[in-house]
Amino acid sequence: MLGTMTQPLPTAQPPAAPLTARMPAPALLREMLSKELLLVTGKGGVGKSTVAQVLARRAASQGKKVLLLELEAVSRAGPLFRAAAVGPQPKEVAPGLWLAALETMDSLRYFAVQQLKIETLVNLALRNRAVEGFFQAVPAVKPMLFLYHVWRLLEEHGPRGDRRWDLLICDMPTSGFVQGMYQIPLTLQQTFRAGPVHGYGKAMGDLLLDAQRTGLVLVTLPEEMPVVETLELGAALRKNHGVQPVAVVVNGVFPSALDAGELAELATAVQKPTPDAAAVEDALALERLIGAEPVADLMDLGAHLWAAELLLGRRQRAQGLLPKLGDAVRGRILELPFLFRRELPLAAIDQLAANLDGGQP
Amino acid sequence: MSAAAQPTLALETLRRAKLIVLAGSGGVGKTTSSAALALQAALLGRRVLVLTIDPAQRLLQALGLQGEDPANKPVANVPHEVLPRLQHLVPGGQPGGSLHAMMLDAGLGAIAMVERLLPDAQLRDRVLNNRIYKAFLPTLQASPDYMALELLFELSLDPRFDLVVLDTPPMHNALDFLKAGHTLASFINERVLKWFAKVPLPGKKASGLSSLFGSGSSMAMSVLGRMFGADALPDIAEFFSSFQEVLPKLKDRALATDAMLREPSTQFLVVTAPGETSLREARHLFLQLQQHGIQPGGFIVNRMLQVPVELGDRPGQASLTERLLQSGMDAKRAAALAESLHQAAERLLHLGRSDLEHLRQLQRMVGPKGFCAPVPQREGDVHSLVQLRKLGQIVVDGAAPGLAT
Repeated sequence: MLGTMTQPLPTAQPPAAPLTARMPAPALLREMLSKELLLVTGKGGVGKSTVAQVLARRAASQGKKVLLLELEAVSRAGPLFRAAAVGPQPKEVAPGLWLAALETMDSLRYFAVQQLKIETLVNLALRNRAVEGFFQAVPAVKPMLFLYHVWRLLEEHGPRGDRRWDLLICDMPTSGFVQGMYQIPLTLQQTFRAGPVHGYGKAMGDLLLDAQRTGLVLVTLPEEMPVVETLELGAALRKNHGVQPVAVVVNGVFPSALDAGELAELATAVQKPTPDAAAVEDALALERLIGAEPVADLMDLGAHLWAAELLLGRRQRAQGLLPKLGDAVRGRILELPFLFRRELPLAAIDQLAANLDGGQP
Repeated sequence: MSAAAQPTLALETLRRAKLIVLAGSGGVGKTTSSAALALQAALLGRRVLVLTIDPAQRLLQALGLQGEDPANKPVANVPHEVLPRLQHLVPGGQPGGSLHAMMLDAGLGAIAMVERLLPDAQLRDRVLNNRIYKAFLPTLQASPDYMALELLFELSLDPRFDLVVLDTPPMHNALDFLKAGHTLASFINERVLKWFAKVPLPGKKASGLSSLFGSGSSMAMSVLGRMFGADALPDIAEFFSSFQEVLPKLKDRALATDAMLREPSTQFLVVTAPGETSLREARHLFLQLQQHGIQPGGFIVNRMLQVPVELGDRPGQASLTERLLQSGMDAKRAAALAESLHQAAERLLHLGRSDLEHLRQLQRMVGPKGFCAPVPQREGDVHSLVQLRKLGQIVVDGAAPGLAT
């Protein structure tokens, strides 16, 4: 039996048959990674960070200069790369992959530095209580400053005039934040009818709505509530801002360890010579009653049947949900398999990255 | 189970608290847990209002707030009565309690708030027609913290309810939420207000603006001007001057709400799920609340993978293969099937054990004075009040005091 730390990753299995008619994964992935900006979002807990990390690793493995941006005080991806103290300054944590974790005040400072130019003035401004109060009290300052930051980062160039980043991947907070962010360019243009901020609003809007440059990636789980909410979010973004996601990534799809027919066969196989799961329980209760040693192989089969039913149940529910999702996003779906872990080490991220399109990187 | 013998800590909370705040990062099941606990409390005879933020459609349907048509959303910021649908859940008697549910819409809430705070129609229109205010309204959903607190204040005065269950916006950072009132209050201090008093009223823009730049405290305005362009200054000035009437009232209310969050009759519960990240975030929230002088009542740990107790630790692949062969399956297929199934079973058992270990860590963190309620992963969604009631029962029954360290 393997210990907690040494549990191996599942060996590569032949990719399961896709659950719904969809765009071929290699073409979809190529399109996604051709963007300058990928905004990865979805309901909490669906694996946004995982998906952002997987995409970042895959893009970097193709020789791109990738910046993975998190809106956190403490980087989630930092520990993955054993990178200490990841802050607002991009830090190269692996070949071709930079990491930065931003808080609102970091973006405010970035904005102030670009506007005021003079360090002393910046410090003076950010220490002024009224100015600080202004930024904390005005709603939606967070998405506004973040969007500004992202927009300016994409404009950064190296010393030889080459672009500093080929691809910027944002591990976004909740979908509410993203909806608020899409509203920002218009808000700024309406609020500031002229002047620099009006211009920023326009430029940010141009960036967000340019499907060639920017891709929205919605992450979901193959479960009812996340799928329904993804459909709702997609519909709201389409209706309010005319945005279509470049892809939906379904995270944690249970492997088809066996199909329904096989489960039936297994159940029959187990039932024929030996008791079924309920009988296993009866037998165990009897064993406990008479105080004998548990029958080891009955327990074994109990675990196998339990696992089989669990996997099959989840997969069947996914099969009921994903076609609807596929229709809503014109088949632009990528699947990531469930790896039987709550947390993924770098090796697992890389395994997912390598198999994103069902092939080798 | 001691649940039947003596009232659990969770049950005590539902019986006595006046405000229950469920905190946690996104996706851990806060909204569903809030509704389930609110229903339990109502069944115990409390008059409950559950305030939810961005509830899923299914939950609204379960609460009877929404029909099949998703476009037909219930009115936000208004308590909807759920009780008539409750009665069949309590056979043999009327519940003494009641349940209302309310959805938060931060944008609408902001308008209603201004209307409440400003009785003067002319002044009110000036605020509501302010361009900055209007333009930022739709973006308010990105930061519903203020409005949740603001509505909480209103609800605490509503005689229909003796318990409010508050589902909070997703938070990594408890301080964002707790400080929402404080941020506003500290911003609206006398010094700043005095400064804003210098902001000219509309119609006097030209002279007022020049006096601003001339005055000693005009540095901030000048910096804002450099950041946003001088053209924007009149808009910013107008924004603040139109708020001069509202801000002091907001400050009072923010402070009152803040005091309410610290009362002993307020219970914070941290909702989480197994997994390193969730665990880390739950611990962080818990400690932050403590540092803020608030002792959380416990943890609700959703999405636990429940391994049936009778299952062994070490499933044997050989016996599975053998069994499959006995049933007449061909050897190659039996081996392959056994291999993949065995792998899955081992990993699931491992996952179950690791979930339990995470639960133990939370039990140690909360200590014997708080509780931990593990909730098994549901297969599928909550579609009905009956399911919601079962879920609430699982929380109450499963809640056990934490472990001494």
